[in-house]
Amino acid sequence: MSMNRIIMLILLLFILEGAVMPWIIPEGLGSRIIPHFVFVSVIFSALYSGRHQALLLGVSFGFLQDIIYFGHLLGAHAFIMGLIGYFTGVLLERRRATVMMALSIIGFACILYDSVIFFIYKVFRITSETYAWALLNHILPSLFLQLAFALACYVPARRLFEAQTKANPDKDGE
Amino acid sequence: MIELFKLMRNKRMFMLMIGFILFIAVIGFSLSDRKESTWPEKFLNDSVVYVQQWFYKPAGYIAGFFEDIGNLRLIYEENEQLRLTAAAYSRDKIKYNFVEKENERLTDALSFTERQKQMYNYTYLIAQVVSVSNDANNRAMKINLGSESGIKPNMAVTTIDGLIGLISSVTPFTATVTPITELDEASPTFNSIAATILGRENESFGILSSYNKETSRLVMTKIAENDKMTVTDTVITSGLGNVYPRGLVIGSVESLQVGDFGLTYTASVKLAASFDHLTEVFVVKVPELEDAGQ
Repeated sequence: MSMNRIIMLILLLFILEGAVMPWIIPEGLGSRIIPHFVFVSVIFSALYSGRHQALLLGVSFGFLQDIIYFGHLLGAHAFIMGLIGYFTGVLLERRRATVMMALSIIGFACILYDSVIFFIYKVFRITSETYAWALLNHILPSLFLQLAFALACYVPARRLFEAQTKANPDKDGE
Repeated sequence: MIELFKLMRNKRMFMLMIGFILFIAVIGFSLSDRKESTWPEKFLNDSVVYVQQWFYKPAGYIAGFFEDIGNLRLIYEENEQLRLTAAAYSRDKIKYNFVEKENERLTDALSFTERQKQMYNYTYLIAQVVSVSNDANNRAMKINLGSESGIKPNMAVTTIDGLIGLISSVTPFTATVTPITELDEASPTFNSIAATILGRENESFGILSSYNKETSRLVMTKIAENDKMTVTDTVITSGLGNVYPRGLVIGSVESLQVGDFGLTYTASVKLAASFDHLTEVFVVKVPELEDAGQ
């Protein structure tokens, strides 16, 4: 039941970041500040719920994004989101991360996510820009948006995911 | 070899490898030249976009309201300018009517086929943008018209300012617009666009081959050496090749350089349309005739 609620909330976030965020971001910065709210919530789930849940959420919502905004490739977001979610879980799921810890993890994860996506597109020769340019153009500016979102959602996200783990602890514990 | 088996015994490593292979397979599948999306894709697209359109438009109204308050001062100037344009329009309209009649008479006299007569009779379908992709390397947009409304891949999409992109994939009720900023010669998923200059349609020619994201300018190549193109000229689509419609504004020439081999010129083109805060867009439907594909 709680899992259903989490999925509904992330689905809502997915819809909001596609349909509402373009209006909130000031004109002219549309291609520089890019929201990755779903990814942030996947990391939250890895930190406070467990690596298997993060893997599942990452793969399914990444694939949803791949299908909805299909432009060049299918599967890139699903793979990267799932992988980063899972390994964040492997490293940190037992420790109870504090605010600063969670924020810095999310920051690094966002940089990693954007960079890997960039390199996948680069390998398939869909973009021809240099990494340094991509870093300054959109990876770092959108990092701030992600951190602000993570800070704003820290308390409810933590409560939600921890309540979910407590409700069915046998599922994720090994 | 034994090392490898040891590695494989590790379950996590094994799953990672399987995942990686699956991922490469899916990418390979999606990169192949697919004519149509599969039905799960269509279903997901239609349902998600159906929900997204409830959010995009109200958000646009609210944001637009605040923008309007900011622009209140500019309205007087804009009005003045519009009045001038309207006057020019009514003069041109009379001239256009005469020219059109003349053209009709001449095409009849020269016994044009039905296909030749209908070739430039474009229809503009008005569509609503419902969401924008959150991937910096693929700024695809979704619009709320699909194959049920007669939209097909490779149709041009414009705003009132100019060309913004091409339809890349279609589902029954939605379509994906790949913005013109994704244009790239080397990319396996996008075509080049033939272009010409407004006012000298028969003399100038160039090919819009790629978009330079670092300078945010389009690169127009293969311009002939004796071309009279100058800076600030308006670039429009030429319609040669009959894939994309003709006469859509793209932008203005900003600089001209000698091209790679010194035989042709390259120009950098500043786009006329902006990609932020889009609401209505027009899909240009080229009239369909049986032999149009040949």
